[in-house]
Amino acid sequence: MNTHHEELTLKKYFQNIWNGIRTTIKGLSITIKHVYDVKPVTIEYPEVREVIPEGSRSRLFNDVQNCISCDQCAVACPVDCIYIASKPRPKDAEKIKTSNGTPIRRELTQYTIDTSLCCYCGLCTTVCPTESLTHTTDHEYASYTIDHMKYDYLDPEVVAWRDRIVK
Amino acid sequence: MDSTENSGNGNGQNKYGGEKLKSELLTVNMGPQHPATHGVLRVEIKTDSEVVSEAIPHIGYLHRCFEKHCENIDYRGNLPFCDRMDYLAAMHMELGYCLAIEKMIGTEIPRRAEYIRVIITELQRIASHLLFTGVYAIDLGAFTPFLYCFDQREKILRLFEEISGARLLYNYIWIGGVWNDIKDGQLARIKEFCESFPAELDKYMNLVGQNKIFVERTANIGIMNAEMCYNYGATGPVLRGAGVDWDLRKKRPYSIYEELDFDVPVGTGEKGTLGDCWDRFAVRQQEMRESLKIIKQCLDGIEEGPIMGKVPKVLKLPKGEIYMRTECARGELGYHIVSDGGKVPYRVKAKSSSFTHTSMLPEVAPGLLIADFVAVIGSIDIVLGEVDR
Repeated sequence: MNTHHEELTLKKYFQNIWNGIRTTIKGLSITIKHVYDVKPVTIEYPEVREVIPEGSRSRLFNDVQNCISCDQCAVACPVDCIYIASKPRPKDAEKIKTSNGTPIRRELTQYTIDTSLCCYCGLCTTVCPTESLTHTTDHEYASYTIDHMKYDYLDPEVVAWRDRIVK
Repeated sequence: MDSTENSGNGNGQNKYGGEKLKSELLTVNMGPQHPATHGVLRVEIKTDSEVVSEAIPHIGYLHRCFEKHCENIDYRGNLPFCDRMDYLAAMHMELGYCLAIEKMIGTEIPRRAEYIRVIITELQRIASHLLFTGVYAIDLGAFTPFLYCFDQREKILRLFEEISGARLLYNYIWIGGVWNDIKDGQLARIKEFCESFPAELDKYMNLVGQNKIFVERTANIGIMNAEMCYNYGATGPVLRGAGVDWDLRKKRPYSIYEELDFDVPVGTGEKGTLGDCWDRFAVRQQEMRESLKIIKQCLDGIEEGPIMGKVPKVLKLPKGEIYMRTECARGELGYHIVSDGGKVPYRVKAKSSSFTHTSMLPEVAPGLLIADFVAVIGSIDIVLGEVDR
């Protein structure tokens, strides 16, 4: 239906051959130029690593010392991957503050992020009033089971990852 | 033998019962894992030897309930889901959604944010068309152009990663403006890219577009003429490849496109018939040039100022509905948003161009060779995320 043939004259026949040779040589010259003139753009990954830009959104990290349990991140999350639980602090307990001076009125009892659900949209970090929840540039955290993708930020082991994460 | 049933007798029957031996069409399933179908598209092809006589696209393998999700999540939370429709041109998906909501609540967007939006979306258009150029060449058997295209695309994605924080799914254009400001250094890099890129475009045209083998594979193949495009409602490069001068950025300008000077490239039928695969390829190549023109003008005209307009913290839309369409890399994208006055939308419907273009395949397919059918699928540049949503 969609093919139509023009009449093939002797002139056209040779023109076709000439066009074939000419355009192929043109293409090959571009390729050869790339072989000798252009620097390689690929890197050999495990040995050489690219520097990830500063603002890149990779794994979330919550600094629980600064968290005021306001729940805004969990509300903003479109996939509901932040599990947060807290209880009021006793009235006679000593008053503590975050690093930017916001008083902490509730005690955090659970702060878990299911990284396997997270879509890295960044909506949770923008609503955080104390900037305790941030995206880090750590992007290499493959794990064997899906349970390992749940990060409990009250767990000392995960907190100790902080230095590893905040590169 | 008392009967001639089982022996050849010259009546068109052989001894095995000739009338029972029929020739029939062979059904071949192309996809959903076929690399030439650009995602999870399954095309059921009825073939007569090497010639396609019928093609039925089966879609829905990438259906992610975008519309239902939107009815349960607030307006800002829907933005990441918009990204995931057309994951190769995510900025365009966000822009349409944000424009629709901004129009509903009547927010004024700062001038700087408008400029940033246009710069970013035009860069995204270039990135998307670069991917098309490379992958289309792979479809037709050339591997090298793919590497050159991805080299350039990587520069754009790197910029996006620095500006927005992500490489593919940005969530950068927000309701009321944009998330981050572009720094001067990044603007300088965009300018640098604009200056170095036209040489690359010439390279692709010489390496791929003018190549005799490529021309033979694409010219006069898969003709979608203007009438067919009107009938099916095709938009974008497919419609422009058929020689129709229709671009929403010119005809129904949104954002600041009114103030910008650019041309709308249309197909000319230079190598074969108007509206064939080669025309669609050439239109996309020229569109990249026009995008560069737009970006350059924006870089010259960008103003200092805020990047976010005034948007209430708890976003509630007035009761009513809106339909907003924008020109994306693949064609028109329309959002129909119905609000009942609450925090979450009552209904969000997205009209995507890839879906329309997929529906044109059965009409184009009959009479094509299987290899040419691959060329047609590649030339309409569908993204299955946008088809299924």
